[in-house]
Amino acid sequence: MSLNNLILITGRTINQGVALEGGKTTRENVRAAGICAFDKNDFIKLNCLAGTPVKVITDFGEVLVYSTISEEGPHPGIIFIPMGPWANQVVNPDSQSSGTPTFKGIKARVEVVKNAKVLDAVQLISKLKESN
Amino acid sequence: MAEIKLKLKKQPKFPLEADVITPDILAGKPAAEIKKLLLYYGNESVKLGDFFDVMGKSTNPRDTKIIIDGDLSNVKRIGEKMTDGEIIINGDVGMHVGNQMEGGKITVNGNAGDWAGAMLKGGELEITGDAGNYIGAAYRGFWIGMENGTIKVGGKIGRESMLWARSSKGAAQFPILMCGAAGSFLGMHNHGGTIMVEGDVDRCAGADQVWGQIIIKGKVSKLLPSFKKIGETNEIELPNGQKVSGKFIEYSGDHSVNKETKGRLYLAA
Amino acid sequence: MVDKNVKTYYDVICPFCGTLCDDLEIDVDQKEQKVVEVRNGCQIGTRKFYSSNPSEHRYTTPLIRENGSFKETSWDEAIDKAADILVKAKRPLLYGFASTECDAQAKGVELAEILGGILDNTASVCHGPTLLAEQDVGVPTSTLGEYKNRADLVIFWGSNPVHAHPRHLGRYSDFVRGYFRQDGRNDRFIVVVDPRNTNTAQIADLYIRVNPNEDYELFNAIRATLRGVEIDEKEVAGVPKDDIVKLVNIMKDSHYGVIFFGMGLTQTISHHRNIDAAVCLTRELNNYTKFLITPMRGHYNITGANAVFTWNTGYAYSMDFSRGYARYNPGEFSSVDVLMRDEIDASLIVASDPASNFPAGAVKNMFKHPLISIEPHHTPTSVNADIILPAAFAGIETEGTAYRMDHVPLRLRKVKDPPGNVLSDKKILERLIEKVKEKKGE
Repeated sequence: MSLNNLILITGRTINQGVALEGGKTTRENVRAAGICAFDKNDFIKLNCLAGTPVKVITDFGEVLVYSTISEEGPHPGIIFIPMGPWANQVVNPDSQSSGTPTFKGIKARVEVVKNAKVLDAVQLISKLKESN
Repeated sequence: MAEIKLKLKKQPKFPLEADVITPDILAGKPAAEIKKLLLYYGNESVKLGDFFDVMGKSTNPRDTKIIIDGDLSNVKRIGEKMTDGEIIINGDVGMHVGNQMEGGKITVNGNAGDWAGAMLKGGELEITGDAGNYIGAAYRGFWIGMENGTIKVGGKIGRESMLWARSSKGAAQFPILMCGAAGSFLGMHNHGGTIMVEGDVDRCAGADQVWGQIIIKGKVSKLLPSFKKIGETNEIELPNGQKVSGKFIEYSGDHSVNKETKGRLYLAA
Repeated sequence: MVDKNVKTYYDVICPFCGTLCDDLEIDVDQKEQKVVEVRNGCQIGTRKFYSSNPSEHRYTTPLIRENGSFKETSWDEAIDKAADILVKAKRPLLYGFASTECDAQAKGVELAEILGGILDNTASVCHGPTLLAEQDVGVPTSTLGEYKNRADLVIFWGSNPVHAHPRHLGRYSDFVRGYFRQDGRNDRFIVVVDPRNTNTAQIADLYIRVNPNEDYELFNAIRATLRGVEIDEKEVAGVPKDDIVKLVNIMKDSHYGVIFFGMGLTQTISHHRNIDAAVCLTRELNNYTKFLITPMRGHYNITGANAVFTWNTGYAYSMDFSRGYARYNPGEFSSVDVLMRDEIDASLIVASDPASNFPAGAVKNMFKHPLISIEPHHTPTSVNADIILPAAFAGIETEGTAYRMDHVPLRLRKVKDPPGNVLSDKKILERLIEKVKEKKGE
């Protein structure tokens, strides 16, 4: 199942902040920042259980994260990934000469991917080093 | 005109700052001396001759035509502050080309980077391809940008072009930008500049315009809510006397800055 | 029973976010030099104090990467190798500085100047656009204490303090009694503008749902309405015209209003032009009442980094020293942009984690070249570094000054000793400067 024509927003959550201070290389961090929150009604269309891994795809990349149902809805058509290494696989790096990348408001689509492994922060980022 | 020919012989890995490449500085120097001029490469200075083959010489800036061949997309600041003469670039060029130019002409047969023609004070900058963001714009922290001169871009320009442009009827200084298409925030904080776009424009055109004319012959996705339609016209007179004909819808704006404004935006009907 | 081994420190400044709370109480076991309890802090600040305790996540000695794994080494060797890398680089990047104290930040400026490199701090990916806008149109602003005592209208625009600045609402902006706001929450009207019905919006008096990426258009409509110009559209940015008129009247009728804004404005497509419009709106509202604006700065001392860089060089961030003097131009000299263009040939990362916070393309290019990390604990940046210089936590293990989001400087305390063989950021940078100067023959 998939959802198109979404807008991706990334940003802070308190859990992501706590996990960040506790050590970004922990499993706690994956559960805090390696997630994608959906609007309650949008999520029904995906036809899967909360926690199922989903692939978020934008013009700039794709990433596997665990799906969750947003507690900050309703926000139909908007998905939210906390700031961090997972979000940064798919945000727009272009700053349009302002210096600051466009971390919020990126067009995205989502596919359900069962039986996939969501990488932890170190694995995800080490892949970038290995690909050099 | 006397020609000085430069050819890029190796691609710079870091940005190469070449603000010495102007008719003002190259005129009156033999090729051997031109090769010794300093360019800036990372945190070191290098000789112009390390990166360019040089041929030819000229006697004075007005009589100088510099022709540069190569992919100069990583070469910045060519033509900076020049007052006379001509530069022709056959290839793409990096940031800041022709910035603070006062006179003369630069032609880029290719694409240009960001800040092309920034803070132009006179002269003519022509780019046949596309150009980046901040074309003819003010640099950071300056609230007076392009004051005079003409910039022509055949292709599409990025965002915030002509930022803080300022014209002066008393001094007969009318900065003009003409382009094929434009990104968002075109003519931001415009104080009298004239902008003519042959094609389409992104959102927020004329944002914070105090006065000036923005003429769009293509389409706009949406105008800002602070722009009000005031009528239709078949002819627009530019401050320098030039007339533009065609069917246009006339808007006044930006009314978020002033309740009454002389700022105008014309959209092809 | 009172444990004689435990000392309590009062009025400790929390070194996490720009709210810079100054009322924390920390209990430290004197023998173990461990934090055993934190009172008054939010979840995140509390966690930070605990994470400074000795653990497998903390670096206790300098490390150099050799054949794919880290080898322990002496400070002399680590500094020597790091200085070597920096001196040889033609375009080094010195980045971070937001989570350390002001003296260390000043040393960063000195080092960047000597190296002729690029100097940048986390504002580059965060509130840089705010600084750009302030440079264009100014900023009518005040302090958090003033807002606590006077503000009766508080607007959070693109900001979610429940998650990002957890005690802001309780100490300064919402659930707190002020001198002229004796009834606390009931004396204030809270407005939240956000594309999502965030946890902050859920406790507001008025929530305005704005379309993502259309905040500029909404500011534009509000400003025009304020000028007495009627807008023709029935709806702007997803907000009905009637609601826009209602909001303008709420603002005009307030006695003292403040706009707090965050990444919703700086990181969406209009970037600094959103803040430009917000500042202009604030200015114009002062024709009717008292209105001010303050950015919700993220890191506890990013404001300090901007202040220190500015009084040393004239510029706050994203600057280049390659021609011997500071030149400033975000977009040209900003960290993510230079990394995306692969212009850098070495990085020194101080007190920050760009591997987690930069777009993947920039991180990939950063990893292509030597990376030196000055860092107290494991982060995705440090585990991929070539040299790790272990640092003490400023504000926990070293003293210093930090600037709050409203530019109020507060003195950070030292409440315990750092574990192992670590040095303060300032000391590490001093030693690097000394070694670099030596290698350059100065």
